[in-house]
Amino acid sequence: MFDDPDALTSSDRGHYHDCADCQARFTGMADDARAATTMLATPELKVDVASAFKRVQAAPAAKPRFGFSLPIMRPASRPMFVGLAAAVVLAALVVTAFANILPLFQPTTVQAIPVSVADIQSLSALSEYGTVTWSQQPTPQVVLSAADAEKIAGFNAPVAHNLPAAITSSITYAAMPAAVAVFTFDAAKAQAAVAKTGKSLPKLPSGMDGAQLTVTVGPALVEVYGNLNQSSASSQDINLPQLVIAESAAPTVTSTQVTTAQLIDYVLSMPGISKDLAAAIRAVEHPASTLLIPVPIQYATSSTVTVQNHFQGVAVGDNTGLGYGVIWINGNVFAVAGPQKQSVVLQIADDLT
Amino acid sequence: MGVNLEAAAEAPKRLVKTREEAFESLFKSEYARVAGIANRVLADPHEAEDVAQEVFINFHRLHSASAQFAPAWLHRAAAHTALNRLRGRRRREKRELAQAPEEASRTVDPQRMLEVNEDRRVVRAALARLAPKPAAVLVLRASGLSYAEVAQALGVGTGQIGTLLRRAEAALRKEVTRGTSI
Repeated sequence: MFDDPDALTSSDRGHYHDCADCQARFTGMADDARAATTMLATPELKVDVASAFKRVQAAPAAKPRFGFSLPIMRPASRPMFVGLAAAVVLAALVVTAFANILPLFQPTTVQAIPVSVADIQSLSALSEYGTVTWSQQPTPQVVLSAADAEKIAGFNAPVAHNLPAAITSSITYAAMPAAVAVFTFDAAKAQAAVAKTGKSLPKLPSGMDGAQLTVTVGPALVEVYGNLNQSSASSQDINLPQLVIAESAAPTVTSTQVTTAQLIDYVLSMPGISKDLAAAIRAVEHPASTLLIPVPIQYATSSTVTVQNHFQGVAVGDNTGLGYGVIWINGNVFAVAGPQKQSVVLQIADDLT
Repeated sequence: MGVNLEAAAEAPKRLVKTREEAFESLFKSEYARVAGIANRVLADPHEAEDVAQEVFINFHRLHSASAQFAPAWLHRAAAHTALNRLRGRRRREKRELAQAPEEASRTVDPQRMLEVNEDRRVVRAALARLAPKPAAVLVLRASGLSYAEVAQALGVGTGQIGTLLRRAEAALRKEVTRGTSI
């Protein structure tokens, strides 16, 4: 009514004319609106669009950080999956950082932790603190049938029931045998990496130099619903899968020489890790059995949901409202995601067998 | 036989160009508005342009410029990125102030400039304390977006915007009052 006085109907106007309550409320709201307009006023911004565009063009293109890309999706066709992939990679890093000394880390539940871009950069820097060697390289493969995928993964492909009619029955299967990475901390490399950023390295706990973390991920099986081969070249439309269902063995981590407490303290003292992230991680009740799902706060929101009436899951929605995903652990780690409504994704997760 | 090899070789190049052209066109039509939204939050033209460029770079990496949701995505990202920076800036200022209270109190500027800066600081501090959605509604509307555009950017129904806006305005006023009475 304040923004658009013409929006009132004649009967509303008649009521307003005689109602002291409404008039008082309107006066209060109008005052608030005027005050907000004044408070948020800023001098007019003059921009040079052409030179701004040149600066943006000069920005370096994104490259896959770990040297391999998922085989299924072309770069232009994976808006929200970039976020999910980043979350998975980051989960591996966080898991690495919180690995228990034996008995090994083997998560049975999931929990979201909010991370910022600065946190991600700081955590990513961990990979420069030592040497990563793959004792089994990740070898994701696109296969022709569920049976082929099951053969690689070693477990049955999850089956979705009662899918909405709008979701295609065309499924692409991909699978990956287990991959094993060994990360060896190297004090000298860590020092050099930190020196490059002009910051100082938190003191390494004794035994950290040379400590090894062995991270096993997969085997995993992914079902992608949608006609991925449909050409979108002419229109440049996003050729987005309608739904992705994934199952993976829960990651496991073993470590040598350092204790959980030392690792946690060390990682949380790294330059750039925000107090918010540190507090969120310290608040995790059972770090040895909780798979932390990092949710980049600038791009996604998260909430806790119950899947199949029993399992605690983390639901992640991207900020644009385009897509939604849910992750939970039932022995293996399961994920259902897609450019669908929250209710649709949760229903599919509930019905998955 | 009848295959135009030259044209076939040209096709991928043409595709790349089309993608770049679409992005350039989006950039030219939306940059001023995206920077304006960021400036509304930050009241700092340089930082606002920084945010706008970051938002476009992120968009270009993630999405096709011809996607229908592109403007809404950019508006929302501009508001949230700028609000995040504002919150980060507040935390930094608090820390610096705690570390060097004497230095801060020695800063001397002409009286008027001090007043204007202080007003802006109080308003921005209040904005940073608001929940993300009300803060974004305020900033987007104040940046000249229509109710429908604000609704698209935030992924809510247009009918909700009036109520969200009223509540956000009241909340901002309350926060500013709280900030100045501390």
